[in-house]
Amino acid sequence: MSKLNNEELQTQQPDKKLRTKDLIYAGAFGAIYLVLMLIIVMGSSMIPVLYLLSPLTVGVVCGTVYMLCVVKVHKFGAALILGILFAVISTMSVLPGFILAICAALAAEVVLWLGKYKSRFLYLLSFVFFNINMTGPFLRFLYNKDAFIADTVSYYGEEHAQALSAITPDWIFWGILACAIVGGIIGSFIANRLIKKHFEKAGVV
Amino acid sequence: MEPMTFGSDAHALLKLDPRTKLFLFLTCTLMTINTFSMTPVVLYNTALCAVLALCGRPWTALKAFVLLMVTVYVRVTVNAQGSVAPATLTIVFGLATLVLFCFPVFLSFSLLVRTTRISQFLAGFQAMHLPVRVVIPVAVMIRFIPTVQEEWAGIRKAMAFRDIRTDIGSVVLHPMRTVEYVLIPLLFSCIAVMEELAAAALARGMDADRKRSSYETVRMRIQDYVVIVVFCALLVYVMMTRFGAM
Repeated sequence: MSKLNNEELQTQQPDKKLRTKDLIYAGAFGAIYLVLMLIIVMGSSMIPVLYLLSPLTVGVVCGTVYMLCVVKVHKFGAALILGILFAVISTMSVLPGFILAICAALAAEVVLWLGKYKSRFLYLLSFVFFNINMTGPFLRFLYNKDAFIADTVSYYGEEHAQALSAITPDWIFWGILACAIVGGIIGSFIANRLIKKHFEKAGVV
Repeated sequence: MEPMTFGSDAHALLKLDPRTKLFLFLTCTLMTINTFSMTPVVLYNTALCAVLALCGRPWTALKAFVLLMVTVYVRVTVNAQGSVAPATLTIVFGLATLVLFCFPVFLSFSLLVRTTRISQFLAGFQAMHLPVRVVIPVAVMIRFIPTVQEEWAGIRKAMAFRDIRTDIGSVVLHPMRTVEYVLIPLLFSCIAVMEELAAAALARGMDADRKRSSYETVRMRIQDYVVIVVFCALLVYVMMTRFGAM
């Protein structure tokens, strides 16, 4: 029933503007993405190594959510809205991180636009750019590591902070960035497989 | 289980404007990011519990308040112990911190979601003169986070029937399988809800370009200003403990 309506709408307005339906998809997928991301980050924040690896784990799990969102909307704006919602919730305290997250979403949107919202490869590539936004909260390692460690002391105690400090050399931010990119690549492969296996068969996308 | 997706303030002693609740959510997030010492934490969380109780959720507020007190007690005692058993200490301390850190965010979010109807949200956002492209994603996101939780609980039960466990052990042993078995049903059921929501939005004329009229009246009243002033004062106090002491 609703499928019929959607097709009618698209024949009436084959435009590139975002309609209410697309905005609803973007907001709802944003909610799913954020809930999954928060579960993973909070669960792993107890263990320093897992915390540093969280860009990878989030990329692997959330890749499918992102991909479904952009594939379902396939217009300019879906990745951007998702990225802005992500940035507002997760990197509000760190202004450079916020800007980085928005830039990552913009880059993903540009990649999608280059593929005219049709190319499967560029859909997958765009998630690699999108997942860079996970490095936003870690940006403080790059320019203000001491303050970050001091905050960790007051949050989790001396032991945890020492453990965190011991495994974070000066180049750690680049390591995290590499994690995010690898996570993006793995995530987009998994998304490709799962979407082919489940969602295309069911006719959802 | 009571239905938690749809908020209502029918039994509230204090009816607040949705914009005030949004403001509370933002200030509480700011405060929890910026404060580490116990006195401001206890102060603003107590204030938040009081607002939640007045807004028609006294039992949730009471439970949250007890949890807060227990956590603060544990954290202070553990802190005073010094390093007796470092490993256990770190775990307990970390858990207490996690609870305290998330506490105001979750509490103010539940204030926002459970005591506000979605039409009040839309009316409130419209009164803020925000464009539709901002209003709809944000409103849908706020409406959707409890839905995701509900679907998640349902999927866990359904999977348990088929002997697919979603505890930590099986996540570690078969990560990809668990992700697939949890994520795919979650996405399918959420997409079904989204399509219904889109149809409902179409039926309510959200696609029309005209200005929408609303059955809800949103107006800032005296109680809204009082709450805002109290939380502004708390925010200033928190900022002073953070930056003044340094």
